[in-house]
Order: sequence, then structure tokens, then C-alpha cells
Amino acid sequence: MFGYYVSLAIRSLRRTPVLSGLMVAAIAVGVGAAMTTLTLNYMMSRNALAAKDDVLYAVQLDGWDPHEAADNPSEMPWQLTYQDAVNLLRSDIPINQVAMHRWGGPISLEDSDIRPFTADSRVTTRDFFALFDVPFLYGGTWSKEADQSPIHQLVLSKESNEKLFGGENSVGRTVNFNGVPFTVVGVTEHWQPSPKVHDLNNGHFNESAEAFLPFGLHRAFEIYPWGNTNGWKSEQINSYEDRLNSDMVWLQYWVQLDTPQQIEAYRDFLTGYIREQKEQGRFPRPLKFGLSKPSEWLLLNEVVDGDDRMLNWLSLAFLLVCLVNAVALLLAKFLRKAPEAGVRRALGASRNAVFSQHLVESSCVGLLGGLGGILLTLAGLALIRQLQMGYMDRVASMDWTMMLAAIGLAMLSSLLAGLYPAWRISRTNPSIYLKTQ
Amino acid sequence: MLELRPILSALWRHKVSALLIALQLGLTLAIVSNALVVMNERTERMSRPTGIAENDIVTFNFMAIPKDYDMYDAFRQDLDMIRSLPGVASATISNHVPLSGSGSASGFYTEPNKETGGLGANYYTTDEHFIDALGMKLVAGRGFYPEEVMKISPSSNDRPTIAVVTQKFADDLFPESNGNVLGKAFFNGGDDHPIKIIGIVERNLGPWPNSSIAGRGAFYPAITDRWFYYIVRAEPGQRDKVQKLVEEKLAERDGNRVINTHTIEEEKAQYYAGDNTMVKVLSGVVILLTFIVALGIVGLTVFWITQRQKQIGVRRALGATRTAISRYFLLENLMIAATGIALGTAAAQIFNGFLVREFEQPTLPLTITVACAVALLVVSLTAALVPALRAANISPATATRSV
Repeated sequence: MFGYYVSLAIRSLRRTPVLSGLMVAAIAVGVGAAMTTLTLNYMMSRNALAAKDDVLYAVQLDGWDPHEAADNPSEMPWQLTYQDAVNLLRSDIPINQVAMHRWGGPISLEDSDIRPFTADSRVTTRDFFALFDVPFLYGGTWSKEADQSPIHQLVLSKESNEKLFGGENSVGRTVNFNGVPFTVVGVTEHWQPSPKVHDLNNGHFNESAEAFLPFGLHRAFEIYPWGNTNGWKSEQINSYEDRLNSDMVWLQYWVQLDTPQQIEAYRDFLTGYIREQKEQGRFPRPLKFGLSKPSEWLLLNEVVDGDDRMLNWLSLAFLLVCLVNAVALLLAKFLRKAPEAGVRRALGASRNAVFSQHLVESSCVGLLGGLGGILLTLAGLALIRQLQMGYMDRVASMDWTMMLAAIGLAMLSSLLAGLYPAWRISRTNPSIYLKTQ
Repeated sequence: MLELRPILSALWRHKVSALLIALQLGLTLAIVSNALVVMNERTERMSRPTGIAENDIVTFNFMAIPKDYDMYDAFRQDLDMIRSLPGVASATISNHVPLSGSGSASGFYTEPNKETGGLGANYYTTDEHFIDALGMKLVAGRGFYPEEVMKISPSSNDRPTIAVVTQKFADDLFPESNGNVLGKAFFNGGDDHPIKIIGIVERNLGPWPNSSIAGRGAFYPAITDRWFYYIVRAEPGQRDKVQKLVEEKLAERDGNRVINTHTIEEEKAQYYAGDNTMVKVLSGVVILLTFIVALGIVGLTVFWITQRQKQIGVRRALGATRTAISRYFLLENLMIAATGIALGTAAAQIFNGFLVREFEQPTLPLTITVACAVALLVVSLTAALVPALRAANISPATATRSV
């Protein structure tokens, strides 16, 4: 029966090509617009750390201004001060823990034709790779001492290793970073979380680092971070040491806690730490700290911003208009075929049969509209890639989930749109049409 | 004579279809008018005067490869060299570049040793050429003398004692002084070191034009070696040539460094990329939506006409003119559109209320709704016009043929 309905539907659609084309176009445009924005929002809110969502936590400490909370939804500074980061690193509760920030410098090779370039870098503790599951192509992370004292070791990304060494195993080789020789101890695989949930400062979709440097280098290089530095009070800063001991925040901090016991213990540790600091006159605000999973961190940081969400609503409203349009057209089309339905009813087709026949027809329209919608979505995303520079490349693309979602949305929309017209036609009184024939 | 009653009774028999068209028009009006108000705001935001010669400026920044590099010596030699190049109008050095999305800001006070209630503003550390190099307009006082420019490091507490500020900074910090702020002093938070205002520039939007502190800026006569950019203003039309030339010459003067360069135009486009995309996407939405609605109206009018072919034939046979037939369908369309627009005006207000509440978008003025309503009415009538004219061509003979 279903096959018969489908062939009926196709025949009926071909009989009115213009009207059918309009319906398919309406649904395609509606689905295309809705799916373009939905895809953007979906890709923007993707959690690159989903696999470890239950064990990773971004740490925040509220050591902000006693008169007003930090100006963001979490009401705590996003980042930590250097002194707090160093103190927290002393805890042995987390399986892995990372204190880090963005930095950069010129990178070059001795006796080489390769043009020196500025490497966007990350100064971090050695657990970074284990905590964020960054795989190594060659070698591994640096020694434990390198996180405390200035040891000139670094890890390259696959991309910078290609630029410098043509992609060969460079472990043990020497590169100059900021004019000082560093030994390469590892090369990571390509690693580009998007959005880069591990550090949401300075653009959510920027490139990730080309070089990773140990945490013990700060004093030797007087490192000023390339990320954000925020402060709330005026401090006398006469030396780099003053800066390290200041209340300015500029480090991101992540911990891996595998069991509820560890989480509990770490909470106690943080509470104890803030209490202890309060005794020394720091942390003037009520005791508060934050441990956020990667998924929560993305929400808190509003990676999908107001404009994106507004476009989402707008595109749904757009789809609604297209649907209303499709309903009106379907209704017109079905009513025109009312005599046919009347004859079928008179010949013994039940109301249900007439109803499902027309529903099948509207689903065909939906399927075609869905396919058109996917094409339009791909075109829309390509357009957005053109409009927005750079980072959109990684965001404005469609995966299989979204393709299926597009067809699903189109089918659902056209079924919804077809419901009333199909019901209306199934209520046709056969006698009227028999009479006029 | 207008045949309103027959139209109404005919419409009543197609009430669902007619209502659907009205609903479509209403929703379209709600979306389009709100899209327009958002587009309006973004376009205005992007076209605000920036106060600088945005089309002529190129910036350069370098990273030295050797570790102990004499930065200040390099600054002096580079800037002397750049200023002597053909096509260069002026050059300066600054810790940050306007419109770039990267900068420094702080809270400023009119009294010493205050901790709360400061006025947020951007600040630049720069040299005596900055007004000319940025192409700003000095409206009062003076710029810096070369001997006033000091060297500071971010780890030192050396602070300049004078500053040039923007008009907006002056007006916001000293609202009672009617712009007469030369010689007045301001302070950093928790600090008793006065900084005297010696000059006022007309305007500078600063590094973050979309932030609440945009337009408030203070310029200090100081150079720091941690964050710096050369800001080079080219003679009109020479920018790209100057950019290439300076990059070459910088590398030539000292090859031991990595040089990065951008134009302000690029920085501005990058900064406003989000707003720009929004405007383009919304214009796409407006056009598509209008198109879809028009198609829907055409489709339905055509359908009604084919359905009523016989009636039209009868009317024509009974003496109705072609104009009367066309007028009938146009009037019918007008009545539907009017209903839709009435619904839409209300929906637009509701939708706008939601946008204002949830997304801090501007409120919708009545003028925009009215303008959109008129435009939609025209679109609707145009869409109905072609089928209505075709209906007039239906021959009176159809009335007799199928009987």
C-alpha cells in the first residue's frame, strides 16, 4: 500500500510542477536557513574534551575585589595569580594538573635557511599532554625539574616540526627560542580543539600552540603572558618578582580528578588553602572557588554568544514562516484534488487511507525539501566561511549528525505541515464531488 | 464600486488559506522589522568615526631573535629610518594599536587614593609624533615635546606626569568643566601621583570600539620595550607601497628579527567581523523571506483563480469588465495583507521585546515597522498582480463551456 501511495504522490507532484516546486523550495529554504545557524551553533559549542568530561575541572579561586565581584557570569576571575598557581601545584591530590598561559617568541634554527618565525606558544606544566590527551608523534613531555627550574627543553607541534625539520624525528635536536638554545624533547600530533576549551581567552577558535615550554622558565625569561592579564587593585610593582607575587591573574589552571574521593579531598584542599590565605590578608571576598567540567566551562564562558543564539531564534522563526507557507500551498493543492479524493472515498477507501495517502505525499515534498535544504546549508556555510575570516573554517562545516538532522528537520516540518491539509481532505464528503462529475 | 461583501463571503469559504497567508505576512513583518533594526544598529556602529586616518595606517611589530637585544636603540634607528622613507607621512611607536582588539585599560579618578568608582579608559604609551601619525585632530592644548618622552618598563613604577586625552575622556571624567580641562590632573586608582592634562584630541575609539569604554583614551609620553608597535601613516594612496617598503627596510637594517605587519583596515575588518557577518546574514534573511512570501502569495492566488475560473467566466459573461475582475483579486489580496500586517505589527513588538530582554538589542521604533509594513504591502500586491491580470483574460465562454 505504501509503495502505491508513493507512486500516487509522485504522479500528483508531477501534475502540478510549479506548485510542487514552490513547496519544495519553501521547505528547502527554511531548512537551509535553520540548519546553517544550528550547525554553526552546534559546531561552536562542541566539547573537544567530552571524552574526559567527568574527570577534568577548570579551577577558579575568588580572590577578587572586596567591593565588587569579577565582571563575568561566574562572578570569579577566569584565571589565577602566579602565586596561587604555584601554591596549588604543591597538592598531590590531582592525577594530573596544569598551570599554563599563552606566550610566544621567535623560533629559529642555527645554520639553516629556514626563515625564523614567531611561534605562538604555551608555557605549561608537564602534565598538559596527559591531562588533555595530546598524543605524541615523537618523544614525550619534559622532566619534572623543568617545571621548577629553568631547563631549556620544549615540545613542538606537528606543524612547527614540519616547518623546522621537514617533519622528521627532531627529538634531541636544538632550536633557538627567544635567542636561547632549547632541546626538543617531543613532537605532538596535530591537536586543534575547536573551540579551544583549555584556554578560552583571546578568541575561542584561534589556532592552538606551535610550541610548548616548561613552567620553570618564568624568572629566567621574565615572561609576560600573551593572553589576558587582569587586576583589581593598584599594586606597587617595581620588579618582575613583584609581578609574580602580585594579585594580577593571568594563568589557567586545570586538574584531573578521577574519583569522588579525590574531588572531595581537592575541595577540602582548596577550602583549606583559601582559609590559610585569608589569614595572611588575601582573598577578601567570601570563601568561594570553582571547579567546572569542560562542558560547564564552555557554557560559563558563553562560547556561543548572544548574536549566535539570536540568529538561532531568528532562523527558527524563518523556518516557521516557510512552514506556514508550505501548509497554505499543500492545502491549496490537496483541495484542488478533492474530487479525486471524493471518488476514492466513494469507491470504499477509508478516511484513514485518504489521510495516509496525503501524508505520504507531503512527506515526499519534505524529503525533497530536506535534500534541497542540505545543499542550501552547505552553500550557506560556504558563504559564512567567505564572510568571516580565518577561524570559521573549522566551525562552518557539516558533519553526518547535522546532515541527518537536516533531513529529519525537513521530514518533521513537512509532516507537521501536511497534517492539517491531509486531515482536511480526508473529511471530504464524497457525495458533493460525485454529484458534480 | 468596491465589491467588499462578495469578497468577504468568498474569503470566508477559504478562511484557513487566507489566514495562513495573513499569518505568513505577519510573521515576515515581525522578523523583517526586527532584523532591520538590528542591522541598522550594527551598520551605525561600524560606520562611527574612529578619529584616526584608518585607511592610511600600517603597523609593524618585531621580535628580536637574540636574547639581550637593545630594544630602545632599535626603536630609535628604525623610526629614524622609517621617517626618512618616501611615501611616509609620519611614524610613531605605541604600546597598542587602535581598533586592533588588543590594548590596555585602567580606572581613572579625579582625586588621589581612591579605590572605587573610577572611570574606565584605554591608555597608550607613545612618543611625540602620535597625533600626526594617527592622523588625529588636536582640539586644545599641545602634544608632547621630544624631551618629555620617557622610557618605562612594565616592572617599574615610573609614571608619566602629563597626558593628552580624548574629548570624551575629558567630558566623562570632568562633566562639570564644559571641556575646559587643560591643566587639570587625574589619578590612577589607590595612587597619589597626579597626571596633568596638557592636550585634548577630538576622538579615538580605542582598541575595543564595541566596549563600554570606547572613545575614552589617555596618551602618555612614554615608551616601553615589552609591548610596542610602530604606527606608520602613509601619504594618501601610498599605504600598500609603504607597507612593503618598510617591511623590507626593517629586515634589511637588522635581519636578526621576525617582523609582523598589519594595516588598520585589516584590524578594523577583523574586529567588526562579527557585526559584519550579522548584517550580511540578516540581509540574506530579509531578502529570502520576502521572496518566499511573495512566491506563496503567487501560488495561492493562482490556485484560487483556477478554482474560480467558472465564476470569473460567469461574471464576465454577465458584463463585468476585465478591470473589475483584476480589482476583485487585488482587493482580496489587500484585505488579507492588511489583516496580516495588523497581526505582524503586534508580533513585531512581542518579538522585539524578547530580543531586547534576552539579547540586549535595540528597541524597535514605529517608523521601521510602518516602513516594513508598507514595503510588504507593495510586495504582496505585486505578487498578486500578475495572476490577477491573467484572471482578467479568462474568456466569458468558459462559463458556458463546461455547463
